[in-house]
Amino acid sequence: MSASPRQVLARVDDELRALWAARAAPGETPRSRARTANLVVVAANPALADAWRPILDEVVQNVPARAIVVGLDPEGPDGLEANVSAVCSLAGSDGSPAICSEVVSLVARGAVSGRVPSVVSGLCMSDVTTTLVWLGRVHTDDPAFAPLAADCGRIVLDAAEGSLASLANVVYWARTRAPADRPGVADLAWTRISAWQELCARMFDEPRLRGLSSRVTKVSVTQASEAGAALGAEGALLLAWLATRLGWRATSLAGKLRLLRADGVPVRVSLHAQTGPGADRHALHAVSVEAGDESLAMVGQITREDDAANWTLAIVPSGGERSHLQHRVRLVASQTARLLERTLRRPLRDPALVEAVTWADQLRGEELACA
Amino acid sequence: MPRLLPNPLRSGLVEDRTSDACAVVIFGASGDLTRRKLVPALYNLAWGRLLPGGFAVVGVARREKTDESFRAELKQAVAEFSRRRPIDEGVWGEFARGIGYVRGEAGEPATYEALRAHLEKVDAERGVRGNRLFYLAVPAAEFGPIVEGLRSAKLVSPAGQERGGGAWTRVVFEKPFGHDLQSARKLNDSVAAAFDESQVFRIDHYLGKETVQNLLVFRFANSLFEPVWGRGHVDHVQITVSEDIGVESRGRFYEQTGVTRDIVENHLMQLLCLTAMEPPISLAADAVRDEKVKVLRSLRKMEASYVSRNVVRGQYARGLVRGEEVPAYREEPDVAADSRVETYVAMRCFVDNWRWSGVPFYVRAGKRMARRVTEISVVFNEVPHALFRAQDGGIAPNVLSVRVQPDEGIALRFISKEPGQQTILRDVAMDFRYGTAFGSNTPEAYERLLLDAMRGEATLFTRRDEVEEQWAYVDRVLEAWAADGNPPPPTYPAGSWGPEQADDLLARDGRRWRKP
Repeated sequence: MSASPRQVLARVDDELRALWAARAAPGETPRSRARTANLVVVAANPALADAWRPILDEVVQNVPARAIVVGLDPEGPDGLEANVSAVCSLAGSDGSPAICSEVVSLVARGAVSGRVPSVVSGLCMSDVTTTLVWLGRVHTDDPAFAPLAADCGRIVLDAAEGSLASLANVVYWARTRAPADRPGVADLAWTRISAWQELCARMFDEPRLRGLSSRVTKVSVTQASEAGAALGAEGALLLAWLATRLGWRATSLAGKLRLLRADGVPVRVSLHAQTGPGADRHALHAVSVEAGDESLAMVGQITREDDAANWTLAIVPSGGERSHLQHRVRLVASQTARLLERTLRRPLRDPALVEAVTWADQLRGEELACA
Repeated sequence: MPRLLPNPLRSGLVEDRTSDACAVVIFGASGDLTRRKLVPALYNLAWGRLLPGGFAVVGVARREKTDESFRAELKQAVAEFSRRRPIDEGVWGEFARGIGYVRGEAGEPATYEALRAHLEKVDAERGVRGNRLFYLAVPAAEFGPIVEGLRSAKLVSPAGQERGGGAWTRVVFEKPFGHDLQSARKLNDSVAAAFDESQVFRIDHYLGKETVQNLLVFRFANSLFEPVWGRGHVDHVQITVSEDIGVESRGRFYEQTGVTRDIVENHLMQLLCLTAMEPPISLAADAVRDEKVKVLRSLRKMEASYVSRNVVRGQYARGLVRGEEVPAYREEPDVAADSRVETYVAMRCFVDNWRWSGVPFYVRAGKRMARRVTEISVVFNEVPHALFRAQDGGIAPNVLSVRVQPDEGIALRFISKEPGQQTILRDVAMDFRYGTAFGSNTPEAYERLLLDAMRGEATLFTRRDEVEEQWAYVDRVLEAWAADGNPPPPTYPAGSWGPEQADDLLARDGRRWRKP
């Protein structure tokens, strides 16, 4: 007969205590236990949870926490499996102790899947922040999701792996919570495009180009995918972010989506596909922005090359000489561990994400295919 | 001048804290500070994507170098001293594209003409837009000529014109800023002839340390500590800045300065200010600096007779540090055999204001001491009635210690009952460590300070009146020693916690130094 969840949790508690009960042996590096946050990762299946274990091991070396990674197997026989380990960062050369985070791996099968919030809350440390990382699609009435989400300070999703609709649903759900109990919502796809946002912002940094931010005429987005694929989460979030920052409205004409600037002039949107790295999640491959008025025109382009992006800006004054600037920028956070770490270090509330997601959600049902 | 509209795409970019496009011009580009701190810090900022797209580093120094050889030299420095190792070739490649070198003497007008030509080229090629941060990593004697050179060559743009879209100029001065009050004032006057105070950034790298910044957060973001932070509950405060190293290769410099000018006038006074200051009305640069200046003005004046009773100096003799025999100060290279320069100083200070009236601040700084440690300890009053008796006599008071370096953190010592049938009392500590709470990859102080200077945020830099008040305070000590004929300081064995006289300073008050 397999152990009950209660027995499993009691064993986990004992093992966690045992990790710290023993003194360091002579010559052994002393270890210091990090107890500053709970990081709960819930994966839609045990294989995905296994795949995330090494990612978490990396993350907790820089974000000390008690990590609890849960693989759900609702179709399996009822049961709970658990495994406990400590992940330690290297100690300094001055003899300082290694800093160790605890990692608890769980597999919840059958009916226990629906009781995961109760299992997890028994393992979370009190009086410290809890972050919930939910891998895959999510329904806000999922019995495994809602109680966990309600008890945490921040929810992290990945719209590129789940869906933009899931992200929007969680944003709306969070809004229904009282402000004091409202968790922050973050998204790994949103963090991934942060470098693209920064590079787009650079296009209008120069004082003489500021005014052109309200004179954008065309935006092109190229994603890594086969031709004909729908616009992915990264492209949609970037487009939505540009629209919310620059005051564009989404309308339709003869059933076709149109974006209008604040002055009513349409912005041409062109979507393209190109095969390349990140095709599985329809990652951004290139973005270009064109803007101009009677006296000045500019074209900014960003193109991915491996783990970096080439940024170019061409400025054409009316009757003047064309000037050209170029930078190459490392696209940070291409590795999932770094990406999650970066996401966890962002401010808890991100109004720009909420606005962009709400705006992008208007496009639900639109046929936004990349040619 | 019409105000420049903000870039709408920058609004709500929460993650990255970057600056306007700019060129950082480093005078003293061949020096140790550039190699060990400045360029590794800039590279780390580039690695973290915190530098603007339009960015350049221009080195200025006397030695003959090409752009290429300067880049190679800096790459070597980054490989050796950056906290981001090994070098990321992609990041370095882009960073290095903006590195250039101008050869020249501080006092020669041709230097500034060559610099201007180089900067104009950089503006066009790198999109730097005329914004310049001049970093003076040179001895204080060169500050004046460089400031004058920049002014004469019209390399200084008027203050505030960036608000209308114009270019900005800022200047960073490394410590020591002057040698005494008179020289600091003279220097400030010559700086003021070229720059507005809002363009001037006097660096004290201690203020860039996370724990020092956290002092403000700790004091003013927690309701627990502020009510007990003053004469009603605090018995005394101890501030220690100790090093276990000697003067190394800086004997000549140290013979001119001593620990009072090198450490007390800046780092130690800043730690005292942050400990004693009142809550500022905001975190704006001047609001914080106003409060620090008030503390400096409240310090009880050091009259000559007061100095002899309340200040102890010392000089290290031979001794053992970490098990190794080390020479006496007078045996160090470039140090006079009969040197009277102090390598240790301890002071009993009072902040004569409402909050701190009667509470002594014991501060000490020294070289070749038992350990390298910077710590602020607030020692609270003993309990008014001894209900319990500790086995070894009295009950130790609560102590809150803020460890600035190494092993940054905050510990609160309190008394607890040992488990068992008897009531045995023991000291225990609630210990918060930065590394445990936040991981170990903390930015270097220079990263924070360089980025702040590029962004025009002056909170972590010292203002003119602050520097002058600091000098005014320590000048009285230095003058009192001089008036007394500058007798040889008492010696202390290297590897100890200072001369016996420093222990007596506290023993007279019935107290003793902590051994942090």
